[in-house]
Amino acid sequence: MTKWYRENAPITADRLAEELMRLKRGSVTRRHFLGVTGLGLATAVLARQPALFNSTAFAEDLGTQMSIATWPNYHDPATFEAFKAATGVAVEVNVFGSNEEMLAKLQAGGTGWDLFVPTNYTISTYAKLGLIDELDLSKLPNYDPSAENPRFANEGTIDGKTYAVPKNWGTTGIAVNSDKIKKPVTSWKDFFEVAMTEADGRAMVHDYQLTTIGNALVSLGYSFNSIKPDELAKAEEVLIKVKPHLYAINSDYQPAMRATDAWMTMCWTNDGAQLNRDMPEIQFVLGKDGGEIWSDFYAIPKSAANKPAGYALLNYLMTPENAVKEHIANGAPTTDSRVLKLLSAEVTSNKIVYPEEAALTPLEFGAAVTLTDPGRAELMARFKAA
Amino acid sequence: MRAFISSVYLFLYAPIALVVLFSFNAGRSASEFTGFSTAWYGKALGNTFLVSALQNSLMIAFTSAALAAVFGTMAALGMERLGARMRALFDALFAAAIVVPGVVIGIATLVALVAVFSFLNPALAILWPGDRPPQLGLGYGSIIAAHGLFSMALVTMIVKARIASLGRDIVEASSDLYATPLTTFRLIVLPQILPSILAGFLLAFTFSFDDFIIAFFVAGSKTTLPIYVFASIRRGVTPEINAIATLVLVASLLLILTARILMREKRSKSGE
Amino acid sequence: MRAAMNTKRNLVTAALIAPAAAWLFVFLVLPFIAMLVFAFGERAPEGGYQAAFTFAQFANLPARATAFWNTLLLAPAGALLCLVVAYPTAYYLAVKANPRYRLMLVSLVVVPFWTSLLVRTYAWMYILGSRGIPNLLALIGIEDVRLLNTPGAVLLGIVYGYLPLMIMPIYVSLEMLDRRLLEASADLGAKPVSTFFGVTLPLSLPGVMTGVALVTILLLGEYLIPQLLGGGKVFFIGNALVDLFLQSRNWPFGSAIAVTLVAVVVVVLMVAMRIAWKVAGTRQVDLV
Repeated sequence: MTKWYRENAPITADRLAEELMRLKRGSVTRRHFLGVTGLGLATAVLARQPALFNSTAFAEDLGTQMSIATWPNYHDPATFEAFKAATGVAVEVNVFGSNEEMLAKLQAGGTGWDLFVPTNYTISTYAKLGLIDELDLSKLPNYDPSAENPRFANEGTIDGKTYAVPKNWGTTGIAVNSDKIKKPVTSWKDFFEVAMTEADGRAMVHDYQLTTIGNALVSLGYSFNSIKPDELAKAEEVLIKVKPHLYAINSDYQPAMRATDAWMTMCWTNDGAQLNRDMPEIQFVLGKDGGEIWSDFYAIPKSAANKPAGYALLNYLMTPENAVKEHIANGAPTTDSRVLKLLSAEVTSNKIVYPEEAALTPLEFGAAVTLTDPGRAELMARFKAA
Repeated sequence: MRAFISSVYLFLYAPIALVVLFSFNAGRSASEFTGFSTAWYGKALGNTFLVSALQNSLMIAFTSAALAAVFGTMAALGMERLGARMRALFDALFAAAIVVPGVVIGIATLVALVAVFSFLNPALAILWPGDRPPQLGLGYGSIIAAHGLFSMALVTMIVKARIASLGRDIVEASSDLYATPLTTFRLIVLPQILPSILAGFLLAFTFSFDDFIIAFFVAGSKTTLPIYVFASIRRGVTPEINAIATLVLVASLLLILTARILMREKRSKSGE
Repeated sequence: MRAAMNTKRNLVTAALIAPAAAWLFVFLVLPFIAMLVFAFGERAPEGGYQAAFTFAQFANLPARATAFWNTLLLAPAGALLCLVVAYPTAYYLAVKANPRYRLMLVSLVVVPFWTSLLVRTYAWMYILGSRGIPNLLALIGIEDVRLLNTPGAVLLGIVYGYLPLMIMPIYVSLEMLDRRLLEASADLGAKPVSTFFGVTLPLSLPGVMTGVALVTILLLGEYLIPQLLGGGKVFFIGNALVDLFLQSRNWPFGSAIAVTLVAVVVVVLMVAMRIAWKVAGTRQVDLV
């Protein structure tokens, strides 16, 4: 075991005892002890110390910068500014349009991310490939597993080990600019029809195999997660047929929708809420024939260069007061009952953010197999290259 | 004709004018002008990630171009002394380095380095005497190497053309006067080929500074300015990007201008 | 004595060439061999590469036929479009422009290179997007025009990005043209038009060939412009390559396509050289 590993490994019982002895002997300071054992944050929280992150000892340990990989329009920029003000750590935000892209980056090595936001169905693969480590929950005192909705939190835990903690949940629906499109769009079948007629040249699909292929499958009456070659072949037909009529294949559709370059798009809950908030003519609907329900997680890559900062930011984001601000800014529904309590009725009654349970019934969670299935990967690449 | 030429220049400069204009935008958006402000210049220079991306780009461009200038010139001189067959081989290799698309260079370098690291790193871990064996990975080194490949070929081509146009007799005259080869090189050849070396260096620097696709593959966790700009196009461009682009433009214009003035002075001095 | 001098001479030559040779070997030859090896491998179950010996990747090449055709069509088309704009510009600069301003005007062609192509292409996204030209068209009653994310937008971006690279070689070849030839032609009573077609154009052909070949070859590996102005819909082979490495994680197939792309570039280059020799009637044309 190398020195570097020893210093960075989660603390073991032996080590704790050893550190305790050193503390007793007086050979280390209390601050050092709290630092290495990870108890510092915990005690600070327990003591309700107001200036949680102002302690210079932590600021030094956290370095001055870190990097997060996340999705388009998914955070309040003010959150990172506040985090920087509190800890001195500047956060670089990298945006990705699909889980496959994140996985590809991690597989090629050296991403520089200290925290990233994978979706529920990918976590088992990341853990299996050894790209993420079990989280050291002692460094996340603000995370409360008992407050999480198990429906959205369960895929972060594998064999009793927590690899990822939930960020928020959501759905993949359809955003429609009702000023431009008069025909009602209520299903994925409608989506692909309107994309070739009233929204010709103005519809967008994700640059993301799960949703683009999945929703094409749903429009044909198949499962969102199908990997059956014959069903995928039919979905490919749908996609190839619609492609000449699309405005773009891109997972960041907000700029195009806001500029009314695009009139209809595959859309995640949070983007739907943001678009509708600023432009009420843009409506968000869930496919009555199906689609995706998902939860996004925070995880720390094994290769992270600044894990302490990754943990600190994650803990910061898990603080209900901060999570509420993020929720209000990005409009994705929370998985955390503590956050739910703090939200105003205006937010919780928003039917885009918190739809009726009945609307969710036809939706499916993404399945792990779709992430690695070569058939789906190649289909998506063929569709784009067609 | 006039109208056509004017519209060509308009075509070339309209986007640049837009970039500069939005750098003075008061609003957050790089596409909706809401008022005049210079605030984004301060923000750009205060943005650690943007500034370090700029520093990385400058460092990488300078290092790769300098290495290319030295090694490329050496190769151009050396190739003069090679036999026809070896020279043809190197000609072909240098031509390949220039002609193979950047995207292929990026991919090939990535594939090869990942393969090499995957057996070098475990070997290092075993052999390393210390506690923490160095982990080889993608980063500055791989970007400099991949950029340097193209740049070196570029410098070699340019310098070789210049050497070919130099009269052999001047070199021979020098050695007839019992100058050592090194003196001949220093006093006769180098001054003649120096402008070509400089031109090659500048071209190489510009290429590396603006390259996106090669760095995209081999940068690992490092960020260059084009990579930062590409990432910010995805997360939504703020006028910070416009501000830094404008600063780079102004700096390079000043450099060109200074170079021109210096050269003019030199020319008029030596002329009179 | 002579042998010793020869050895010394050889040593110096070797020392001069060694760094470049090492560089070429480690970062050109070796990667190319690695890519070739990968091209015969298999995609690992989770993506990436897994050792094997199969021709499956090459057999699957037709799955990217459209991207290859797009590239082989749009690259020369873009280069020719570039030429249409570049030739008159270069002609004006070299022949017509006031010599006092010539240098400044030529420099102005190169200056755009000093602003990142990415940033300038982003500016085009704005100009072509609905807040730009379509917005202006709406003012005069032409509604809902779509320019961005079309092959036309990609072609425009290509002409914009590569215009200076086309202008410069043509300008250089026109500038070297002996003005006395033009005067002689005029003195002999040739009309300007016939002077142009009889003298100027043939003599500037090497520059034209260099420009067209240079731009075509660079375009064969283009990624950014179709990505930004084509909305992920107008796919060059470069885009297909990036996609295979950064989305579907099929390294072997990506390697096979990259190898094929290199072969295509070599063929295009050879065809271009052949044409150049025929046109110039000599073998003295440098394309790169």
